[in-house]
Amino acid sequence: MTVVAEIDAAPAGHGLLRYAAAKAGGALLSIAMVVVATFFLFRMLPGDPVRALAQGRNMTPAQLDLERARLGLDKSIPEQFLHFVGQTLRFDLGTSYEYKRPVLDLIGERIGPTLLLTGTALVMAVSLGIWQGARAGWKPGSRFDRFSTAVSLVLWSVPTFWLGLLLLMVFAAGIGPIPGLFPTRGISSVDAPDGFGYVLDVAHHMVLPCLTLVAVVYAQYLLVMRSSVLDEVEQDYITTARAKGLKDDDIRRRHAVPNALLPTVTLVFMRIGFVVGGAVTVEAIFSWPGLGQLFYQAIRVPDFTLMQGTFLLITVSVILMNTLADVIYHVLDPRVRSV
Amino acid sequence: MIRKCLAVLAAIGLLSLPGTANAAEPGRKVVKVGVTQAVDSMNPFLAVRLVSGQLQRWTYAFLTVPDAKTLQPSPDLAESWTTSPDGLTWTFKIRTAKWSDGQPITADDAAWTFTKMMTDDAAKAGNGPAVENFASVTASGQDLTIKLKAPQASMLDIPVAIVPKHVWEKVPDIGKFEADQVPAVGSGPYVVTEYKKDQFVRLAANKDYWRGAPKIDELQMIFYDNPAASIVGLKKGDIDLIGRLAPPDFESLKGDDNLVQWNAEGRRATYLQVNHGATTSDNKPIGDGHPALKDPRVRQALHYAIDKQKLVDETQNGLARPADGSIIPPLYKSFFWEASGAEKITYNVAKANEILDAAGYKKGADGIRTMPDGSKKLQFRFSIHTDAPSEEKLAEYLTGWFKELGIQLTARRLDSSKFTEETGTTALFDIAISGWSVNPDPEEVLGTHLCSRRPTASGEGGGTESFYCDPQYETLYKQQQKELDRTKRADIIKKMEQRLYVDAPVIALYYPNDLEGYRKDRIASITPIPEDKGILYGGSGYWPFYTVEAVSQDAAAEDGGGSSTGLIAGIAGAVVVLALGGFVLARRRQGAADERE
Repeated sequence: MTVVAEIDAAPAGHGLLRYAAAKAGGALLSIAMVVVATFFLFRMLPGDPVRALAQGRNMTPAQLDLERARLGLDKSIPEQFLHFVGQTLRFDLGTSYEYKRPVLDLIGERIGPTLLLTGTALVMAVSLGIWQGARAGWKPGSRFDRFSTAVSLVLWSVPTFWLGLLLLMVFAAGIGPIPGLFPTRGISSVDAPDGFGYVLDVAHHMVLPCLTLVAVVYAQYLLVMRSSVLDEVEQDYITTARAKGLKDDDIRRRHAVPNALLPTVTLVFMRIGFVVGGAVTVEAIFSWPGLGQLFYQAIRVPDFTLMQGTFLLITVSVILMNTLADVIYHVLDPRVRSV
Repeated sequence: MIRKCLAVLAAIGLLSLPGTANAAEPGRKVVKVGVTQAVDSMNPFLAVRLVSGQLQRWTYAFLTVPDAKTLQPSPDLAESWTTSPDGLTWTFKIRTAKWSDGQPITADDAAWTFTKMMTDDAAKAGNGPAVENFASVTASGQDLTIKLKAPQASMLDIPVAIVPKHVWEKVPDIGKFEADQVPAVGSGPYVVTEYKKDQFVRLAANKDYWRGAPKIDELQMIFYDNPAASIVGLKKGDIDLIGRLAPPDFESLKGDDNLVQWNAEGRRATYLQVNHGATTSDNKPIGDGHPALKDPRVRQALHYAIDKQKLVDETQNGLARPADGSIIPPLYKSFFWEASGAEKITYNVAKANEILDAAGYKKGADGIRTMPDGSKKLQFRFSIHTDAPSEEKLAEYLTGWFKELGIQLTARRLDSSKFTEETGTTALFDIAISGWSVNPDPEEVLGTHLCSRRPTASGEGGGTESFYCDPQYETLYKQQQKELDRTKRADIIKKMEQRLYVDAPVIALYYPNDLEGYRKDRIASITPIPEDKGILYGGSGYWPFYTVEAVSQDAAAEDGGGSSTGLIAGIAGAVVVLALGGFVLARRRQGAADERE
């Protein structure tokens, strides 16, 4: 055993670099394809953005043409495409049709609130899922297992919109003896104080949206964690640890959980990619000024440049995170290296 | 792990404690208006949304403002005006007043605003059509002279906010200017003091406003992304007023003693758009409309088969007025026209069948009528929007009624951009749902049925709401444009409505009510526009929010009760946290005991 390990150890560093480079190359290729696909995908959507923008207003044909020229829609599709590719290479995502401002600026304003909300929710959902999943998988069929799995699955199946509204009605408005504890909208109060008071105010606003997000997604971490812990329970090394007289909790924490974490890590990295996409539904219910909401509004117009921009951002971050997950997996799991 | 959980629970308990936000200064009168549409731009040259239009009215003066009682144009920034006999030269006398930064307002500011829109394409984005007919705009002291290319009776309803030249002339590129610096220099009853995108706008009363300062200290506009949450916000008191409610949301306000359900005449008309042989602007046929709908008798028969009262009751919860007129709702008394006598079409299926029989559309073996030459069955598509429950219901009723005529109707659900394209540019429809919100001057809505608004063959241009092109309607439109006598102009406009009613390129169904809600423990009084049963939020001008009066803090003694409710809530939260903590700890001990055994 030791000999094999030594032979492997020398090229491992090179192997990782080469592996990472190959993965990065693949990611770049995917991103290039996404850029091309994005452009044509959104051009295939029905509807004329200029007409949609002019809806409910009286505009003469000349004015509509002027608007079309302003948006560059009077040029041919190949010309528009070249312009788009050139712009994207310069990290310029164009100007939003409806807001008439650079898409990058709009994204910049929204990305903070989104990362705060979805990031916090992700950390909470992952912690809760891993904790409950590990305990549930450790003693399958126990009361804790049945209870936590059932609750998480019920919440997983509940429509986000329904759960969000329910929480809003019960805990924001207050029903019967339950007083309205939380605000009904947004990220901060109109008259929010500065400094630490502001932090508290934002946290106060974040409770319900965060709770909704966590409630509907933590089941996936719980189930993945539960099944991988279940795999470990029967392993010989666990028996050995038991034989050594270790406490049950310690065996779970120190031996079983680290080995069972791998599938969950993959899942977590995949979800991190989606974090920037925000949570359209939750943002809509709680009027959270994030990216999901921006994307949703862009689809309704349709605001091509804004949609392209947000779509690119989301896909690129998913690709990057998947690549990163691949590389980290390589480090974490020796079995991947040997393949 | 357990300790961490406890910490999280404790944190949640702490967060649910009230008082994390600053308590309002005592005696300060604040009114919070909820809106479900975010501001698209604070720059009046760019903004197009209704919410932005309201903000402009609150923060900038316009030349004129609809009178609070009659909705007729009345002086705003322009004290008075005169017109040359040929109707081409208008001279406005600008009032002696000050911008909110203390600079005097002159005609030069107005001239600069209009000229900017005429000369800079970027400045046309928001309101370009308003100055389309302007030849030149000049200023001399307080006198503003506008020369027109052609007479224009709607000159006294120009929806353009006059901006301060001394601030705006320094802007290098209007198209990229966000105008979000505060305090914004304006001339309306309020001044924007804080703006957080997609969250809220804070407006302070303009103490030097020429009409006199508003009765409250601060007005807040608070954005909600969805109506259901805004209703919760109103019931809870996070906002004091919300307008533009859908019937179900409005009904959900029932039974709360603190809430006033505002139900008045609205500014909108809902109608059916009938593809009566759509053509392009060079008169070539376009689209795939059913040939039978070219026949005015068929359109009339359809009109007879619609029970409008039933539609109001079933699709609008009774919160609308059945339409016996056309595209202008009864809110605008001076321009509203209603059919009477023999012309009036009332629900009568037998008569509708008679008309179709006489016109030669015979029923086939399957009960469906065919064209007189037997070429095609009378099967129409009905285009509606996806996710629009009231339109679904409407489609159900129309399908049932038309079936009694031997006409088959099939609903076709389209997302909004596809809908706009098919019913406004490519004419791939038979019958479609339609509607328009009308301004105090109806020229805009009348213009949507002009020949020139039809698209070109390549689908360019447009703006038509019906593909209508009728010589009689066109002549009347030109006449009313030149007619500066309001009564005579109204008579011409009524003839245009009558023409639309009889010829039926559009069939008016109902006029939806203006539905709003406000808290009477916060708002002491608010005057709608028009004063008699009018609109609060979303009407024309600034009257409701200029006159709004808040309940004084002394009177609202319940406010103290509010904070004690919060205290109780906080204590309750703490108790729950402690109980949960105790439970978890107990379980933990028990668990440890189990292990030891």
